[in-house]
Amino acid sequence: MNLLGTARLALSRIWATKTRSLLTMLGVVIGVAAIVALTSIVDGASQGINKSLATLGTNQLNLTALAPDALTEQDAQALAELEGVAVMFMQSQNEGTIATDTNRVNARLVGVSNQYFEAVKPEIAMGSYLSKNPLAQSARDVVFGADAANDLGLTSDMLGKTVKLNGQDFRLVGVLDDQAGFGTAGRVYVTLESARKIFSQYPYVSAIVVQAETPEGVDALQVAADRLLRERYGLSSDTEARYTITNQASLISAVSSITDTLGLLLTGIAAISLIVGGIGIMNIMLVSVRERTREIGVRRAIGAKQKDVLTQFLIEAVVLSLAGGIVGLILGQIAAFFLAILGDWEFAIRMDTVALALGFSLVVGVLFGVWPARTASKLEPIDALRFE
Amino acid sequence: MAKVVELENVRREYLVGDQVTVALDDVTVAIESGEFVAIVGPSGSGKSTMMNLIGCLDRPSSGDVRISGSATRELSDNELTALRSKAIGFVFQQFQLLPNTSALENVMAPLLYQGISTKVAKQRATEMLTKLGLAERLNFDRNRLSGGQQQRVAIARALVTSPDIVLADEPTGALDSKTGAQVIELLKELHAEGRTIILITHDLDIAASAPRRIFLRDGLIEKDERGHA
Repeated sequence: MNLLGTARLALSRIWATKTRSLLTMLGVVIGVAAIVALTSIVDGASQGINKSLATLGTNQLNLTALAPDALTEQDAQALAELEGVAVMFMQSQNEGTIATDTNRVNARLVGVSNQYFEAVKPEIAMGSYLSKNPLAQSARDVVFGADAANDLGLTSDMLGKTVKLNGQDFRLVGVLDDQAGFGTAGRVYVTLESARKIFSQYPYVSAIVVQAETPEGVDALQVAADRLLRERYGLSSDTEARYTITNQASLISAVSSITDTLGLLLTGIAAISLIVGGIGIMNIMLVSVRERTREIGVRRAIGAKQKDVLTQFLIEAVVLSLAGGIVGLILGQIAAFFLAILGDWEFAIRMDTVALALGFSLVVGVLFGVWPARTASKLEPIDALRFE
Repeated sequence: MAKVVELENVRREYLVGDQVTVALDDVTVAIESGEFVAIVGPSGSGKSTMMNLIGCLDRPSSGDVRISGSATRELSDNELTALRSKAIGFVFQQFQLLPNTSALENVMAPLLYQGISTKVAKQRATEMLTKLGLAERLNFDRNRLSGGQQQRVAIARALVTSPDIVLADEPTGALDSKTGAQVIELLKELHAEGRTIILITHDLDIAASAPRRIFLRDGLIEKDERGHA
């Protein structure tokens, strides 16, 4: 019999036992739907993380001190002189307290050099940034992050009034709207000069940020910055430094490698359910071969070759699995669509997911269909005919 | 007349557990084209074994079985299937229509397994069913056919490939006597058309309808009788 005829037989059998066929498919449906939905969750999550990282700029190098005295203002000034540097700013930070007449909470006190606000451009809720005027650097002004403002219960009429930082008087000049930002909450910002007076260990800074003129220049700048600092501290290239230099690009790639691994892990778990689905198909196919032993005998008697029987059962298994795959794909995409709305990321049907889902279910069908189909084809016609 | 079935010193043994059972013991017999033969015997006489050997469902342990001139002993499963498909049309006691399959599809199946196109198979199957008075039942599956109708579908299925031999195994066994008699009449008509009919039965009355009767007992031919009893 030609393949088309055999396929028709297989399909009519699947149709004749609709309920059983649906239940048999269920394992594969769930497996594939899980793979599709999980892939989309991982995609969406990494999309979101990357977007947050991108707001920090991809042309930026972050130098972080690993010890309180590891980086100095002089280091920062020297770094600013490097070729290809557009902007440099530094910060010095420490835990401290902030207080009004009636309230007092803990916060992170951050001293920033005067290019900070211009470079980072945080959203402002009210008031203004710290003044850039060098003459005003010594002014006791403070800008609150949104969380710090909330913690302390600041209201708009406090603008221009006095708040206490570590017990010292500061004038509130602005409040940021930085809740949506990345790691800036619970902070208050003062000038580097003020910071020295109230908490920092002069002339040390906790972080230096260097922005390259172009994103392409970041890698070269990173090498140059590391070389410069090693020279200044007399470190050979293989000694461990007391600071780290990271750039956003490498951070993004680190994050994406984490999300890739996570994706692989989740897909692996979903693949297990797909295999369980395949075993379900195999089980039902074996039962089916047994139930249909006499039919197989009759088919053999009226001229079916072993190959015809093998193909018929194999097609049945593959069709069940593939149909399960298609249904699973559709359900998975529907789930992904709603998850995308829920998680506020972009919904996209990825062709590689489609190919993976269908390819996987095809393989499962063949893999778990072969044994039952072989069992069926190897039945002796006489025994099969006599089977009760 | 050409010999369509030749058994020469045929022996068939089975291994049941560790015991060898001889089902047929040194049987030699020939059946010519156009004959109507009944193979008669009680259960255990070896008639089922003989049917399996003639039907190319089984091979002899020793001796030669030649069906339409081909010796079956050395054939591969595929070759045996091909010979069976060409030479034999089966009619079974329990009709053995395929489940979830219409009368038409049942009769088409042997043709499709021969590689004949769906279109031609459909045409030939329809003609055969019409000839057997089932033109109105083409799309009925076995649940909607009476026993007699089912057996006629089975006979149509056996005849549709124009086999050299129609092999009917207790074809009336599952039918009431009136319907059974109609089936025997049908076989007689087919014989009159020149077909070779081999009827396997334990029922002496049924066997009496065949002009030649081969009696089996304990794996041996007891009697080979010709002419109407």
